[in-house]
Amino acid sequence: MKIIVLVKQVPGTDSVKLDPVTGVMVRTGKDTIINPLDENALAEAIRIKNTYPDVKITAVSMGPISAMKAIKEAIAMGADDGVLVSGREFAGSDTIATAKVIAAAIKKTGDFDMILCGERATDGETGQTAAMIAHYLGVPAQTYVSALEVLEDGVIVKRTVESGFERVQVTFPVLVSVNKDISDTGFPTLDGKLKAKKVDVPMLGNAELGFDKSELGLTGSPTRVVKIFSPKLSRDTIMVKANATMQPIDELLSFLVQKDVL
Amino acid sequence: MQFNKVTENIIKQLEAILGKANVVVDEEKMEMYSRDETSDKLWEKMPEVVIKPENAQQIAEVVKLANRELIPITPRGGGSGLAAGAVPLHGGMVLSLEKMNKILEIDKENLFMVLEPGVTTGDVQKEAKELNLFYAGDPCSAESSFIGGNVATNAGGNKAIKYGVTGRHVYGLEVVMPDGEIVVYGGKNVKDVTFYDMVHLMVGSEGTLGIITKIWLKLMPLPQYVADLLVPFPDMQSAIKVVPKIMTAGIIPTAVEFMDSLSIKAAELYLNKKLPFSDAGAYIICEVDGNTELQIQEDYETIGKLCKENGALEVFVADNISTQDRIWKSRKAYAEALRMLSPVYCMEDIVVPIANIPAALDAIEKIAAKFDCKIPSAGHAGDGNIHATILREDRDEHAWHDLKDVVLAEIYDAVYALDGNLSGEHGIGAKRISAMYKHMTEGQKKVLRTVKEAFDPNNIMNPGKVVLLGTIAES
Amino acid sequence: MSMYVNCSIAEAKNLSEFKGVFILGEQRDGKIQAVTFELLTWGRGIADDLGCELACVLLGDEIENLDEVILRGADKVFFIQDPIFKNFLTQPYSNAITRLVNEEKPEVIIAGATTTGRTVMPLVAAKTNTGLTADCTELTIDPDTKLLLQTRPAIGGNIMATIKTPDTRPQMATVRPRSAKQSPVDTSRTGQIIVKNYAGATTMTVEKFLEFIIDTTQAVSIEEADVIIAGGKGMKNAAGFKLVEELADLMGAAVGATRDAVELGWSTYPHQIGLSGKTVSPKLIIAMGIAGKIQFLAGMQTSDVIVAINKDPEAQIFKVADFGIVGDVFEVVPMLIETVKKMKAKA
Repeated sequence: MKIIVLVKQVPGTDSVKLDPVTGVMVRTGKDTIINPLDENALAEAIRIKNTYPDVKITAVSMGPISAMKAIKEAIAMGADDGVLVSGREFAGSDTIATAKVIAAAIKKTGDFDMILCGERATDGETGQTAAMIAHYLGVPAQTYVSALEVLEDGVIVKRTVESGFERVQVTFPVLVSVNKDISDTGFPTLDGKLKAKKVDVPMLGNAELGFDKSELGLTGSPTRVVKIFSPKLSRDTIMVKANATMQPIDELLSFLVQKDVL
Repeated sequence: MQFNKVTENIIKQLEAILGKANVVVDEEKMEMYSRDETSDKLWEKMPEVVIKPENAQQIAEVVKLANRELIPITPRGGGSGLAAGAVPLHGGMVLSLEKMNKILEIDKENLFMVLEPGVTTGDVQKEAKELNLFYAGDPCSAESSFIGGNVATNAGGNKAIKYGVTGRHVYGLEVVMPDGEIVVYGGKNVKDVTFYDMVHLMVGSEGTLGIITKIWLKLMPLPQYVADLLVPFPDMQSAIKVVPKIMTAGIIPTAVEFMDSLSIKAAELYLNKKLPFSDAGAYIICEVDGNTELQIQEDYETIGKLCKENGALEVFVADNISTQDRIWKSRKAYAEALRMLSPVYCMEDIVVPIANIPAALDAIEKIAAKFDCKIPSAGHAGDGNIHATILREDRDEHAWHDLKDVVLAEIYDAVYALDGNLSGEHGIGAKRISAMYKHMTEGQKKVLRTVKEAFDPNNIMNPGKVVLLGTIAES
Repeated sequence: MSMYVNCSIAEAKNLSEFKGVFILGEQRDGKIQAVTFELLTWGRGIADDLGCELACVLLGDEIENLDEVILRGADKVFFIQDPIFKNFLTQPYSNAITRLVNEEKPEVIIAGATTTGRTVMPLVAAKTNTGLTADCTELTIDPDTKLLLQTRPAIGGNIMATIKTPDTRPQMATVRPRSAKQSPVDTSRTGQIIVKNYAGATTMTVEKFLEFIIDTTQAVSIEEADVIIAGGKGMKNAAGFKLVEELADLMGAAVGATRDAVELGWSTYPHQIGLSGKTVSPKLIIAMGIAGKIQFLAGMQTSDVIVAINKDPEAQIFKVADFGIVGDVFEVVPMLIETVKKMKAKA
């Protein structure tokens, strides 16, 4: 059984800066990590592998060459091998353009039974690339999955939805995006690190994938960022300074009574 | 020592100095100032008044007033202390530095941060990091403790073996002396022998010699790469025995921490998350830092292999902030996590030469067995600092105090027999004063007393902490 | 590459063919879900700005009170009816919606950023080769170009981005549930219910729905609460956060938490408000020790009355607050608790 885990490399802190002119995210610094929910997905893949030893896990990432670090980390944690999808032409892709490229790269790696990934990434937070990838591969997508049971020819997933859970059975191949309840994340081991250092991770660029340039990057993206701005928030705020007396509290309560919310 | 009560007249004078808003007498609001994190009723006492000065001049006026009226002053930072140092055991006023919380200057050329005492240590670390600089002090309580409290207790923390304790980063202090004089010691000079080393007399003086109102803190270039190892061992002794081997392997780690099996279980319970090898007898957590990826790789590989050769069950490596955060969460949760096992406990801070840690832990284990109580331990193995913690569990008040007293006495005796001391970083405060006096020589006692009397003849500055002017019974 | 790609977006579509606004309604057990009525508010505004019809798409087997959708603002209802649609399954749902979109050619499609909307919309967008913007907090029509301007928080929510889909149709977006009020019933409204029967290839799937399990622990649902007491990092520690719970308990309110507070373990994920948590719109929310990152604000700024208590007068949270108290939460909140206790004792 072959499982592909999608690992996105994301900035490790909240303090990602935005270029005020181009509106492009500036990813500097070495503080990069695997998108946390992708780590949960990887942990789940490893859990499955521990039960079914014939499982092979391949980590796939799309990003700059430095995203190799994310794949090596995934291998150190327990993935068997990895593929990095990288190329200048891919920069600036929106979710549709990204999904096409990743789907094509997955096809290149051969048949698979299951793709696992996080339900969203902490940088873009769109959470829509996974389902789009499933479409381009022609496989069903199961989203918001918090538990997974492997069957002979498919899986039963438990989806966490509004006000409850849905259990759905689906046959392989399938894409499953997970939330953080799926599996507790693990750590890379020293042996894993030493192995990852030696493993040769193949890179796929557009030379291998053969897209028409018009399908890639900004030109291949249907959506356009028009503007980036700091939000203007305003209400007519009544401001009171706490002064160790009951007065501000009394003012607040009479305000709430007047607004009829108490 | 006879102190006077805080009268209405004194409150009026305080209000005149500080403004009404900065003088608190409401019992409910003073409640949180009646204790620190020691969490034992024995070490709680309601202040008569809590004041929140905004600058050194106000503090100077308050100190003069307190001297005239013989009112004790207990200075207070973030209240995260573990020795009742900030508890006003003789009543009087608690002087909270929470409003003096500004970073005054970051001098990038000379690598100094000048700041007020009420800035949290976590903010100091963050502000420095923003500028690619590094403040190396790192107590587990960094998120809540104030830098002023760190200086006043000479806090240690997780990076002490490589970077030293808080005092090593302090080059200057502005202090309101017990007579109300505002004096500056040191500053931005890295070398300075123009005086007695007053900076380092004040560091760790726990508010008994003056009130720190401004701090010159040394910054360093930020180490560009950090890696942490989490290493489970089958039992405590095999874990601890690897520590001297790590320390002599030609690498200076930033941290070598340990947790015993009870602490691991408590952390797992507290974090509500499965920890790897949580049935292990002990964890060792080891951190290395440096400026090239290659160098830290070599370092952690060396240490990791050493651990494997010495019985480690597995070696986990964290070289990014997400995995590192997960490792340190379990260690830093220690104080909070133990409350899951027992809401009341007595956390100790003993320190022994690192080669003697196995013997110390062995002694603690025997004491726990002898008195049929639980004493989990975690701490800084790299500098011999063991936070052994006696759990009260469901004992009644009476049984608990009896137990604690005898257990502590036995632990301290064992520690001194192993060339150790009773506090590595939490300080003496009020909690350990009688135990410290028991193990001090007459000569040491005399020096302490002479210094204290010279600075604070009326004994208004945090009386009953660190040094005794009267007898223990009086205090 | 044509294997995976229906057509290149460079292949210009005849954009003027696309007319009308779709909203994607939701049902569970045949009952129309509240998010549908919120979407009608969004959709009506956009349809009016474009001067076109608003249609609501619903998939199901049997659905109660379809008329209500019309009374609340839709001009048309497309009811795609088949037993397979009783529960959400990605393949039949996305196939059926795509087929309807290809038949009807709407200019705009809006769905809720629910688990269903966030799953089916990317599939439909990919199948129709158009753009999709997730989690919008604002949708407007550009008066000049008549393009849909889709605004969403970006980069950890510290900044807003406005996005458009200029060259492909439909223009698609999901909006946060509860980010708009439910559209009111207007009994004078009329409209058309069109039932679509798409049996055959459209409804075929390798997915099998097994069961729905109600989660009773989500009974504390902050999304339904009238009053929410929320706490953030300023509560300092787990013990400090207890003040939030104490006040909530006293006021019969739900407990809300920022992402920080949840990550620090002071509260749990079902209580998380914000972009990565829940969007709430209660009558009253009291935010305590919360600085107010956009990420958090995006999850609560449509609340009726917002009260903020924070020691930093510059905190962003005050910008959305109706009533702000500048002060230490550990001073102010215990006083507030005391006062509420006294009020309750009197009553």
